[in-house]
Amino acid sequence: MTAPPIEKPIESQTNGNHAVTETKKYYRSFEHLENEDAVIAIIKREFPDVDADKLSPVSRRRFVQLLGASAALASATGCRWETEHIVDTNERAENRTPGVPQYFSSAMELAGVALPLQLTTFDGRPVKVEGNPRFAATGGATTAWAQASLLSFYDPERSKKVKHRANGGVEELDFAKFVTATGPTWTALRANQGAGLRVLSEASSSDALIAAKNRLLKTYPKALWHEFESISDDESREGTKLAFGGAYRPNYQLAAADVVLCLDCDLLGDHPNSVANARSFAKRRNPDAAMNRLYVVEASFSTTGAAADHRLPLRASLMGAFLNGLEEALGIPGAAGASAMTGANKVGFFIKALADDLKGAKGRCLIAIGARQPAAVQARVHRLNELLENVGKTVSYVKEQLPDRASHVEEIRALTSAMEKGQVDTLVILGGNPVYTAPSDLNFSAALAKVKQKVHLGLYDDETAQLCDWHLPAAHYLESWNDSRTWDGTHVLAQPTILPLYQGTSAVELIATLAGHEVTTGYDLVRSAFDTRYGNDELNWRRCLRDGIVPNSAWPIETPRVKGDLPPMPPAGDVGDDLDNGKLEIDFVACSKVYDGRFANNGWLQEAPDFMTRMTWDNVALIAPATADRLKVTTEQMVTLRVGDRSLDCAVYVMPGQAQSSVTIWLGYGRTAAGSVGGSVATGVAPVGFDSYKLRSTNGMWFTTGLSVQPKSETYQLSMVQEHHMIDTVGMEGREERIEMLIHEADLRQYKTNPESIHGAEHGPPLISLFDRPEKYETGHKWGLSVDLSTCTGCNACVIACQAENNVPVVGKERVWRSREMHWLRIDRYFSGDVNDPSVSSQPIMCQQCENAPCEEVCPVGATMHSKEGLNDMVYNRCVGTRYCSNNCPYKVRRFNFFNYQLKMKDSENEILKMMFNPEVTVRARGVMEKCTYCVHRIKAVTQKAKNQNRAVVDGEIVTACEQACPSQSIVFGDLNDATSRVTKRHADKRTYAMLEFLNVLPRTQYMARISNKNPALVAAAPAHAGGH
Amino acid sequence: MSNFIFPSWTNNLKELLGALGAGGGLYATVLIWVGFSPQATDVGYQPHQPIAYSHALHAGELGIDCRYCHNTVESTTHAAVPPTATCINCHDKIQTTSDKLAPLRDAHAKQLPVAWQRVHDLPDYVYFNHSRHVNSGVSCVSCHGRVDQMEEVKQVEPLSMGWCLDCHRDPAPNIRPKDQVTNLAWKPSGDARAEGEKLVKEYGLKPSTDCSTCHR
Repeated sequence: MTAPPIEKPIESQTNGNHAVTETKKYYRSFEHLENEDAVIAIIKREFPDVDADKLSPVSRRRFVQLLGASAALASATGCRWETEHIVDTNERAENRTPGVPQYFSSAMELAGVALPLQLTTFDGRPVKVEGNPRFAATGGATTAWAQASLLSFYDPERSKKVKHRANGGVEELDFAKFVTATGPTWTALRANQGAGLRVLSEASSSDALIAAKNRLLKTYPKALWHEFESISDDESREGTKLAFGGAYRPNYQLAAADVVLCLDCDLLGDHPNSVANARSFAKRRNPDAAMNRLYVVEASFSTTGAAADHRLPLRASLMGAFLNGLEEALGIPGAAGASAMTGANKVGFFIKALADDLKGAKGRCLIAIGARQPAAVQARVHRLNELLENVGKTVSYVKEQLPDRASHVEEIRALTSAMEKGQVDTLVILGGNPVYTAPSDLNFSAALAKVKQKVHLGLYDDETAQLCDWHLPAAHYLESWNDSRTWDGTHVLAQPTILPLYQGTSAVELIATLAGHEVTTGYDLVRSAFDTRYGNDELNWRRCLRDGIVPNSAWPIETPRVKGDLPPMPPAGDVGDDLDNGKLEIDFVACSKVYDGRFANNGWLQEAPDFMTRMTWDNVALIAPATADRLKVTTEQMVTLRVGDRSLDCAVYVMPGQAQSSVTIWLGYGRTAAGSVGGSVATGVAPVGFDSYKLRSTNGMWFTTGLSVQPKSETYQLSMVQEHHMIDTVGMEGREERIEMLIHEADLRQYKTNPESIHGAEHGPPLISLFDRPEKYETGHKWGLSVDLSTCTGCNACVIACQAENNVPVVGKERVWRSREMHWLRIDRYFSGDVNDPSVSSQPIMCQQCENAPCEEVCPVGATMHSKEGLNDMVYNRCVGTRYCSNNCPYKVRRFNFFNYQLKMKDSENEILKMMFNPEVTVRARGVMEKCTYCVHRIKAVTQKAKNQNRAVVDGEIVTACEQACPSQSIVFGDLNDATSRVTKRHADKRTYAMLEFLNVLPRTQYMARISNKNPALVAAAPAHAGGH
Repeated sequence: MSNFIFPSWTNNLKELLGALGAGGGLYATVLIWVGFSPQATDVGYQPHQPIAYSHALHAGELGIDCRYCHNTVESTTHAAVPPTATCINCHDKIQTTSDKLAPLRDAHAKQLPVAWQRVHDLPDYVYFNHSRHVNSGVSCVSCHGRVDQMEEVKQVEPLSMGWCLDCHRDPAPNIRPKDQVTNLAWKPSGDARAEGEKLVKEYGLKPSTDCSTCHR
């Protein structure tokens, strides 16, 4: 297996006035390149089915939790005499109208950083999570995690009772019983001033929790409080300490930067401030305004890497050496050991061009460094930003909230060693799952066994809970009071939208109870913390609560100066591409779906295809094609990864663009006590994926070298969606032209010289329809949608938002493998260019609402019809499931319910999930075709209201779920008959094109070509074939 | 042992079975066509309510406007059934000892709603919007009949899709001045169709027959 040569090197040089069109070879995966025939075979089948015997017995047996939508009421549909009751309230609350949604401001805290939210509730049930539009930085956008938190909230497997594990048995109690039963412990602890009491908390920025903590430490002065997150910004904090002598948090103003360099930094992906970053980044991706240029240097493809104009695959351990090379090229004194990274090779060219670009944009450029890099490298970047005069312009700093706490690794190390020595009698674990996430060399669970009394507060009866004496169900953020801080320090308030479903307790309530405080209700604790900071002002409190945000509460911006000499970089080691097996690098990254494993029992996230790998329901070892070739491994092959004395058996995925000799694996999989979605050994549900924490130790929290990869003979079935619902109709022949019809992209210079050329040489015969088109859509509404491919980052927020909004079911790994995933909105991702260093193009695809819809012509029962507003209506109650429509859909956006995915909702233990459904959207049954409707229920809600009020619909009043969630504002919906609407303007833009225009289906969804801003020096200087190692 | 010989009367069985088959098929078709139509299954449905509330008394005799209780009908999709407190507004002064109202007082004392039985029950895949109809001059009576004359509410119209579409295709007969919408006894002064057509024009009504108007 050798890396195939690129068909033609990119030769996009303008030649006089004629732009030479690039000939790119696009492919969906490494397999696509390697095994064209097999992929053609898949394309030829509409719903590629597979030999069931090929499925591993585990995945076949796995009971798939069907977490989507439906109702017992749905079963009553059409059955006249199943009695329904109309039950209002005794007294209708102020501002409440039955059946009309209400909106509440709140916030979700993830690893101590809040995302301001606006929650939609229907008759008292939270049914949708949106971003808080009052928070300017995020503008009402969200992450996939926030969108999916709704499913976690309603998860029927969340723990419901206090569990007391003693003498080999489990007793279920309530919270009050826990307080009485453990009463003597706290009395005794109070008497000895809390000696032997430790608290292990998740990161939190809550004033209320800090106040409760201080009270606890006052009650038990000898107690110690530890904070631990497995995905931590430790190194970032330590880096600022090295550079500035204090703990700071860098805040990037991407909108002000002309040149951005991301070093191992996924600014648009797993960065805690990703929503705001994506928003400000997108502001500079308009080719008709001043466009920025993004360079990314990283080991494994991230969403930021996919958005980059220039990306350099480089092992994480070489970032320091790269920085040395860059400093040398920038002429900064004191750079050492740089020679390895400069010179007439690919990296050298990259550094030279990058350095010139940065020098030319002093004060308007930005270097962002990822939290995965060691502190010494971080400090250098801070100095470099200072020397490039960026501080205060494109990067500013805010002081960390708790500047004095030790790093998370040190905290967990200190705690474990104290437990080991028997110094801990009582341990309170506030959220988190340290038994699963703690570095493996600490042996946390063995040390935990030596603690006499262990109390765990958590959403699930997880790995940690099962080793504790007491497990207390935690309150989800949707059902509790809290306050927290956004990345820039803006103080946000979180309010419950419903009473706790399962009598959960919040962290602040538990700590206040343990501290013996007289006030222990969440509201009072949060309110008193608020009053302490801002004074007791009822009006102000109510206003802040309504808005969800305390105005002007962001931490003050500071511009610290780098102090003195910085420590030397860590040694780079071998900078070659081909490291020996045994000296390879392993990289751990936060999963774009389950994060650190905490969302493992969330079916929406498990089934969301990862943007780059298009993988669902698993994690894998990502290996570069050239390295895989050398190691003689291939996709879906099992291997043994070994670092020191730790080893893990894991499946391989050959990842184009992965840095050579580096193996990346996501954290958060292989859960053994997550539940029947994420894996539970106790109930016989095999874990999803492989537990990469087993390889992670305190001296290599993010990456380390010394990895060996031993191929095994077994293979492992992965459920990847990249070869599902492919649009090519005749396979690979003529593929280049065809994919060019799907994705239009060009370099900025080509676009400026000849804007028309970006749409390719697509001049077919005149478009004549077989059918009459009586409807011209000249009056009334004419709905349309525009997707800007220049700004789409592939963050998946729209995918989950669509799933939550439209009651889209989860089907499970096996059925995803059978190409039966139900997502109405998918993000297609194509590679192009050298397989070891490709470019990436992404394209969100939902129903294109064709005016000449091919699906409508073939439906025998009129279940899909055209509306006067140009929507391709789907009538579920008419559909008999012939699937002709899907067969005839050129965009492959229709999804078929092969099973009654919502049937499980009838079981009493799953009944709670019915509360999650959006009541405005029909729940579909088996045998019914479904697809995107442009959120027609949202359209109707607004147009009907406007008609009642005798007014016109205002542009922007109707927002589809995907548009609302999109951090980079790539998606815009509106009325094409309104000349001033945003979508009309976008559709008239030079960049806009209709996908597969030659079919004359006249899609209402149109795309704006992706324009990249390549550095001319790099395009010219790059060796023709960079992969020649 | 002699062979069994079919008696001669069985010769007629073939014709009889043929006639039964043809007639039975027709019978079954008519039975299902008519018997399972909403006109047969739904019209006349009159469940017993937990409290013997009389619309004839309240809306008819006493002349309370529909919107006193169903107060959300003009602004939202649901014409909400009133909370217990709405009944108590009057009934803490009127008929305070009536046995018939005991369940109401009981519910109110316990801060509970009354579980009314749904009479007009559309399938869950139908999204009907009361406010759009009421604001277009469609009277309550068009769908619900003379509720002001009903002791116990019953369904008088089939509420089937064909029945809905009849009006969406030709709204004129069912459009009246907006201020007469809740006046169930209202009759047009002149030619009903001409008056309706005038109002349709005046109100700018173009009832949609798109699928997504009701199904989504």
